[in-house]
Amino acid sequence: MVQALKGVDLTVEPGEYVVILGHNGSGKSTLAKHLNALLVPTEGDVWVNGWNTRDRDHLQDIRSTVGMVFQSPDNQIVATVVEEDVAFGPENMGLPHEEIVQRVNWALDVVEMSEFRYRPPHRLSGGQKQRVAIAGMLAMRPQVLVLDESTAMLDPIGRQEVLELAHRLNREEGVTIVAITHFMEEAVEADRIVIMADGRIQLEGIPREIFTQTEALQALHMEPPLVTRLALAMRQTNPQFPGDLLTLDELITALKAHWRVPAPVLPDARKADSSPQEAIIRYEDVGRYYMRGTPLQVKAIEHVNMHVTRGEILGVIGHTGSGKSTIIQHANALIRPHEGRVLVFGEDTRDEKTNARALRRRVGLVFQQPERQLFERFVGDDVAFGPRNLGLSREEVRERVRRAMAVVGLGFDEFKDRMTFSLSGGEMRRVALAGILSLEPEVLVLDEPTAGLDPEGRAQLLERLLSWREQGETLVMVSHNMDNLAELADRLYVIARGTVLAEGTPEEIFAQVERLQEEGLNAPVVTQVMQSLANEGLLPPEATHIHRFDEAVHLLRGMI
Amino acid sequence: MEDFELLRNVTIGQYIPTGSIIHRLDPRAKILAATFLILAISFTPSILANFLMMAVILGIAWLARIEFRYLLRGFLLGLPILIFIFVTQFLFMGRVEPAGHVFFQLGWFRITQRSLYIIILSGLRLISFVFLTSLITMTATTTELTHGVEHLLRPFRRLGVPSHELALILMVALRFVPTLAEEMEDIMKAQASRGADIGGRRMWRPDRAAKAYLPLIVPLFLNAFRRAEELVYAMEARGYVGGGGRTHFIQLKSRGLDYAVILAAFVVMLLMLLIPWPSIFGIFF
Repeated sequence: MVQALKGVDLTVEPGEYVVILGHNGSGKSTLAKHLNALLVPTEGDVWVNGWNTRDRDHLQDIRSTVGMVFQSPDNQIVATVVEEDVAFGPENMGLPHEEIVQRVNWALDVVEMSEFRYRPPHRLSGGQKQRVAIAGMLAMRPQVLVLDESTAMLDPIGRQEVLELAHRLNREEGVTIVAITHFMEEAVEADRIVIMADGRIQLEGIPREIFTQTEALQALHMEPPLVTRLALAMRQTNPQFPGDLLTLDELITALKAHWRVPAPVLPDARKADSSPQEAIIRYEDVGRYYMRGTPLQVKAIEHVNMHVTRGEILGVIGHTGSGKSTIIQHANALIRPHEGRVLVFGEDTRDEKTNARALRRRVGLVFQQPERQLFERFVGDDVAFGPRNLGLSREEVRERVRRAMAVVGLGFDEFKDRMTFSLSGGEMRRVALAGILSLEPEVLVLDEPTAGLDPEGRAQLLERLLSWREQGETLVMVSHNMDNLAELADRLYVIARGTVLAEGTPEEIFAQVERLQEEGLNAPVVTQVMQSLANEGLLPPEATHIHRFDEAVHLLRGMI
Repeated sequence: MEDFELLRNVTIGQYIPTGSIIHRLDPRAKILAATFLILAISFTPSILANFLMMAVILGIAWLARIEFRYLLRGFLLGLPILIFIFVTQFLFMGRVEPAGHVFFQLGWFRITQRSLYIIILSGLRLISFVFLTSLITMTATTTELTHGVEHLLRPFRRLGVPSHELALILMVALRFVPTLAEEMEDIMKAQASRGADIGGRRMWRPDRAAKAYLPLIVPLFLNAFRRAEELVYAMEARGYVGGGGRTHFIQLKSRGLDYAVILAAFVVMLLMLLIPWPSIFGIFF
């Protein structure tokens, strides 16, 4: 038996916006489930509006006072049509038909989903599904809305949608919000932050106070938002510089106030020196339909021209539904183009003679949330699944498993006999990655490798990938996380509406801040800072070519 | 295997909005009418009558403006089961007495008038069932269906039939069909990326097939259980405590045409069951 929460004292006032931060396993989700009597404490009491959550007579009162939205957009929608799902709560409350209709209309209106009311949920984006889930709660007219990691599985647009909605509900409808998350960025506008670790509340206070307690945060393996980190880095060399900055605007204002040297001359953007001729994977005018030959046929991708050269880290940017996953699944012949062709190591994937399984060994593809495809009881066996399929000898399989586990930082002797499903989310992700690495592919293609991981898990995984790439291997990384790609990629493709929108070095791509924003993609925070400074005339336009944290700190320290 | 696109072949549970007269029927009328037709198919012993029922079903498909090839696609998905039934019947039904004329005999195995009759009859019935169920899901949204089932069962609530719970189970099951199909597709692709030989040449050997399916089935079930657990939390959080005291957002209304359709299906059933249909080709009942 494990004690998940230890002596937690917490009071939430009406109208407050509270963010509870913590890593996986910190007890924050357990805490959340106590707020509406989904869980009842083994010690102590939880009071909602004066009702004790142990009191089963008030269960319905408590559940209609405290609404809760969960992490997975897919697993909390009950009905097969949006409006009926929103009606599920009011139906349970036994409200009269007219009242239900009125509440459903109102709730869909508030979350701006009225035009989708007849849609089946599987035809909504992640952000839209979460908005439906929120509407389902609002229709019960709760005073409090608990968002239990409701943004963790969303892309930046979806996350933005949900966060804006939460703040609007808090401001305009007076709904008290308790948001649970692992991302500090989401806590910037909160009234209060509560940081959990080991089942206890470790820190509590307003964002400005919390984010500047660098040492306390470090001890908890947490990082303040990038803007605050930039400010703190400035403060290290210039004690007059304020460290407690939360937003881009505050940072720019402070930098302006401390600016003391004229604009320097900066080098031009690095040009991409990759040519399709030496490509190991080449897409030539590729197009593909989804549900071809059915009434629901749609074009998933069209006129895609791309290439991957040996030894590079290639970033592929695009949000959910842009077609990026479809594109990369062509790289190992999992799917074949309906139009154009894909050449992998010179072989046409549509050619009957091409051995798809041989190509899949050379191009390792890691899916989104790959830990969901683990199936063996023991870690070692799961990693060995690939090499065994190759028909290698016992010794060779063992050697490959050992090497692959070393790359992802899981000790062979320590982990090979561990139960796969007892590992943490971050560890399981690394086991899944090792399962592909054990095929010893020449190219590694990763679809959203860090999605759903907490910041610590993210950092570890990226570090492992970089060390793998040091060995001269080729890496293709598909992501909507601009800040990650800004630090890592040599070259980028921007995918939108099923085709390639732009190609170039990160310097060239990120400099087009406005164009990215039109596609609903944000430039990395560092680039946004540089762009703002260039707009203010403090830096030359070439400053937008700077997109790595360390480079930005180096440049700015010289300026103030 | 064409590129792991599972959802493309799942026609059961896929609504095709053509806006036809069949689509606009009250779901209760559709379910009742389909029930009568299924009873007719199940209980008429005549092959001729079964051919006529097939014609009726194709007529409904025509009225619903559903193209024949979509019907056929759902049928192809069920083909392995059909072949399995066909083969077992072919092997063992020769022993059923009275056998009638014996066409062929090799030791213990025989082909008889009776066995041919059984094979053809059950083949026709199965195809009709698949077509009819596909037609229902193609012309009625899943919500219409669940509400239809719930309304039809409501009078039996007093007898202890959990009408609401059954409808909810149906709704949740249908709700997760596309989700799980997508999930299965992802798992298949992911395991293929790890060198698994899915749908490969040696799949006809049961031991190998079972081994090859394990990496698909285990994650699918684990993920389905996790989804179920999360769904339970989500439903509880929305105050779900079972059917008692619930009210309804959707209210169904039926028109004259709906009653006419139910009556027509009932008449068809009576005709199929009561008319002494003549045997065809001389060898069948």
